[in-house]
Amino acid sequence: MSHSVEYDPKEAWNGGQSPFRLSYGKIFMWFFLISDALTFGGLLSAYGFIRHKYSDVWPKAENVFTHFPFVEHHIPLAYVGLMTFILIMSSVTMVLAVEAGHRNHKRGVLIWMFWTIIGGLAFVGSQAWEWYHFIEGTDVGALRWVWDPETSHYVQKTIYGANMTVNEYGAPQFANFFFFITGFHGTHVFSGVVINFVIFMNALMGTYERRGHYEMVEKVGLYWHFVDLVWVFVFTFFYLL
Amino acid sequence: MEFHDDYPEYEKMATHDEVAGKKLRRTLWNVFWIMLVITISELVVGFIAPGKGWTGSIYLKVFFISFTIAKAAYIVMVFMHLGHEVKFFKFTILLPYITFMLYCIFICLNEGTYSGKPANRTPIDALLVKQQVDLRAHKHHGGGEQENVAEPAAEHH
Repeated sequence: MSHSVEYDPKEAWNGGQSPFRLSYGKIFMWFFLISDALTFGGLLSAYGFIRHKYSDVWPKAENVFTHFPFVEHHIPLAYVGLMTFILIMSSVTMVLAVEAGHRNHKRGVLIWMFWTIIGGLAFVGSQAWEWYHFIEGTDVGALRWVWDPETSHYVQKTIYGANMTVNEYGAPQFANFFFFITGFHGTHVFSGVVINFVIFMNALMGTYERRGHYEMVEKVGLYWHFVDLVWVFVFTFFYLL
Repeated sequence: MEFHDDYPEYEKMATHDEVAGKKLRRTLWNVFWIMLVITISELVVGFIAPGKGWTGSIYLKVFFISFTIAKAAYIVMVFMHLGHEVKFFKFTILLPYITFMLYCIFICLNEGTYSGKPANRTPIDALLVKQQVDLRAHKHHGGGEQENVAEPAAEHH
């Protein structure tokens, strides 16, 4: 935004200064996020591969994720919409914490980081609830071929819910990818909450006030926005398309 | 060119005063409202799409993917502040990633479509697809009682 030091693009690479006008910590947070984004990109591309391969038997998300807490009727997409809203909201509170940090406003940083942590916990809890209903399945279940080790044959059995080998809703690969990608993302959200909490405690104890700047809040903010960014794609490719 | 080791304090470069902060906060909240509107319109379209028979159409896919990319761009450019970084840095971060991912997506979807064609299926794949199709057609024998046999395990209690 405001680059207080004069910047001449022709001189930038001559040494003695950062050509990117950034501290090494922030640059390497970006490089880490690129490598993490490649991991998620690889997973989602693999999901696309399997989905195109079994496109004629692929389950439709609006038939799978239809539950909403305290509501008897099935409302497709409503719950995941709420989860998306929670994560976007917590991204906004994070960026407001970063903004407060740029003004060296300790109280603002603490308030907004607190709400970010609450939002992150709400999201992880929602994901656990979503998993629970996906694993539990419906009351009626569905008939599926399952491998019977005793007779070494496939037998027909009524299956409830989804696990890694069989899936009530359709192709088992759907459940595999769902568990792996949302699980990997949920792990990121959880570690993000832990890191946010550490930074929150540091800010509370005045570490950054003594240091003179709140760049750590900015760095952890980058990670947190990245988690939100991944969810935007997971949301589209798992739930909408 | 003379060498100097008194590096500028890059950590403090992004600091600003109350006036600039107020302006920035307004921008951030505007971005939030834009993203909320995008998400809600995605959900509304996703909700009404099956009833209108839009499911799986190319227009629906283009709609969802372009809105997703718009949201991603807002997060990266405004929230993650990349839009205001130095041009070199923007290209360092975005160009290799986007180039590689475009290739990766192309190759995955292309190969997936190819190997999903009935003629190219391995015996075990053909078996798996056949099982799923059979089960869908004979759903009323076992699991859920449903009118709409075209949908896999649609929930109607």
